Amino acid sequence: VQITYWEKWTGHEALAMQRVVDDFNQSQSRVFVRFLSMTMIEQKAMIAIAGGNPPDVVGLYNKNLRLFAEAGAILPLGELAGRHTLTSEHYADAIWRLCTLRPRRNAEDTIDREELFGLPNTCSTMALYYNRELVPRPPLTIAELDDMARRLTTPARGGETAAQLGFVPTEPGWWPHVWGYFFGASMYDEASDRATAADPANVRAYEWVQSFPRRFGVESMLNFQSGLGSYSSAQQPLLDGRVAMCLHGPFLVNVIKQFKPDFPFGVAPFPVDTIEPDDANPVGLVEADVLAIPSGCEHVEEAMEFMAFTQRSDIAERLAIAHAKPSPLAACSREYYASHPNPQIRVHEAIARSTRGFGYPSTRVWNEYESMLRRAFESEIWQLRRPASDVLRDVQARAQQAIDRASEKQRRRRARDASRRASLDAPARDRGPA
Amino acid sequence: VIQRERAIVGLAWISPWLLGFLFFLAAPIAMSLYYSLTDYSILESPVFVGLENYARLWSDPTFWTVLKNTLLYAAVMVPASTMLALALAVLLNQQPPGWKLARAIIFLPTLLPAAAAAMAWLWLLNGDAGLLNRVLTPLLAMLSLKAPAWLQSHVWAMPAIMIVALWQVGQSVIIYQAALREVPQSLLEAASIDGMGPWTRFRHVTLPMISPVVLFNVIIGCIGALQVFVFPFIMTGGGPGTATYFYSMYLYDNGFMFGPQMGYACALAWVQMALVALLTFGLLRLSKSKVHYRAG
Repeated sequence: VQITYWEKWTGHEALAMQRVVDDFNQSQSRVFVRFLSMTMIEQKAMIAIAGGNPPDVVGLYNKNLRLFAEAGAILPLGELAGRHTLTSEHYADAIWRLCTLRPRRNAEDTIDREELFGLPNTCSTMALYYNRELVPRPPLTIAELDDMARRLTTPARGGETAAQLGFVPTEPGWWPHVWGYFFGASMYDEASDRATAADPANVRAYEWVQSFPRRFGVESMLNFQSGLGSYSSAQQPLLDGRVAMCLHGPFLVNVIKQFKPDFPFGVAPFPVDTIEPDDANPVGLVEADVLAIPSGCEHVEEAMEFMAFTQRSDIAERLAIAHAKPSPLAACSREYYASHPNPQIRVHEAIARSTRGFGYPSTRVWNEYESMLRRAFESEIWQLRRPASDVLRDVQARAQQAIDRASEKQRRRRARDASRRASLDAPARDRGPA
Repeated sequence: VIQRERAIVGLAWISPWLLGFLFFLAAPIAMSLYYSLTDYSILESPVFVGLENYARLWSDPTFWTVLKNTLLYAAVMVPASTMLALALAVLLNQQPPGWKLARAIIFLPTLLPAAAAAMAWLWLLNGDAGLLNRVLTPLLAMLSLKAPAWLQSHVWAMPAIMIVALWQVGQSVIIYQAALREVPQSLLEAASIDGMGPWTRFRHVTLPMISPVVLFNVIIGCIGALQVFVFPFIMTGGGPGTATYFYSMYLYDNGFMFGPQMGYACALAWVQMALVALLTFGLLRLSKSKVHYRAG
């Protein structure tokens, strides 16, 4: 049987997955996996599934799961995975939480318990990366971070743009929604389906963000930002000394190894404010790359067989090492730690195992909500055009509108599905028992 | 009978185009009109909602922001690119030394893929190390001014995108140059004999003679400006904030990123089409007394 597997990775990450696929293909002769690496996988998978010609396995981001699951576009995997002894005990806590959800579907199909919709093949957690030559001991609290950042900031000749900043929240700027979590807030309350951007702790967090341009000047910060090198280059700001500390993922090690292998870096959980710092239970963003089986897949058993192969400890560890990411599994071998390219990978794994690890808000309008927040962050918060509290209040109101609109659409869809089912059942009832 | 046979043969010959038109253009257009009246997430079947998507536009602040940005862009870009292209074409038509090389240089940017050009401009407009600011910084320093962080500043991001778009004005220049060559020399000579100076000759002879070409370029420019996408998408992602967030980008986000909300995206597309049609119609009406078509 030939099955097709679409994956979002390109470059060295795709090559590492190709090796896993090759190993699976050589390990048995019944199933052959055809691996296709592509960009913009959400859109392509969506169109393929809607068109009735999906791949057998698709590699999504965990933040895509709710949309796909609620639309019935991917299959629940609990029972299938259970047959391969893939249960919660096999995975790190925060990772398992990202792969399971309670989809809000139609009246009859409502799943009133958490259901597994994806299996993680790799994961990432975000932590504080710092230059050990400049930062002998990582900060535990935001106050300490501020203090160090101030001391590590040096103005350029002429004083127009800083030559080096201790820390800047916009480097690399990929997660503008996370700051409130380090102050004990969140962006969304799943239980009540409410946006919580204007939570007082979030306001405090974004006021802290605004303290940077306030301290150094908006124009000066913008010029500094625009002069920073790109992520995958020797001019990566931490490597070339433009910043001393930044929030980053474990994959930064790939850049360090490639461009400056001797760079003395350290990794620590990102500092917190108001809540207690705890290295054993750190706060941090957790993401997972997940394998899912699309609805309409022709070879479900074979797809699961391949997915189960990727969940083997040795395979998952090998892939994590190749990607320089933490393992999504509950336990790792000694060899794994010995050969991992990131000597500080345990920090990332502690976040993945922490009860305070947080994922992207589990709402299907997250992309829209995130876009609102990102735009408000870039323009209004970072450029000090309005107070953070006002901006966040507006974002929350608009995000809530989007959430309510999505709920209303689902309600309407449920009503339509119910009436369709009723009209289909009616003739059967009229005919009576055969 | 012969005529019917000829018609059938003719239809058979154009049938590949007809089928292509029906399946790849007419049917998607009709479907997008239907989808604009539905709640459609691509993954789930569409639910008819009537005019709800169109009504939502009125209360959607982002719709008004992107519409304002797009209209502002068009309002600046169409006259600016028309004047720049016309000025360059007139200059080239004087055939100064090296004009052929200059024409090639002006046309060259239009041959570059927009994505590649956008990447190059990202570096040129870099606020700290970009070539443009390297030149501007010492000049502006004499006036106690600072060079802007072009793409990061909510004030300068839009002008930066406009500068990049103006850089690709070469195609219009070539069209204007061809039109200028068609202006009868006899008319220009007669005007000179009547005592007209160069500007008056251009204003009262050349411009009316090339007015159909100007109208064509203005209409094409308007349509292009209302659909601006590639440069802001690659260079700023619509930012900072919504400073360079344009209509087509918001349409794309709704269609593929936000949810997705393909029904709403289709409604946005139909409003955009209506806007383009309205503007084209308005320009054609306005141009009636200004554009001179030569007989024969």
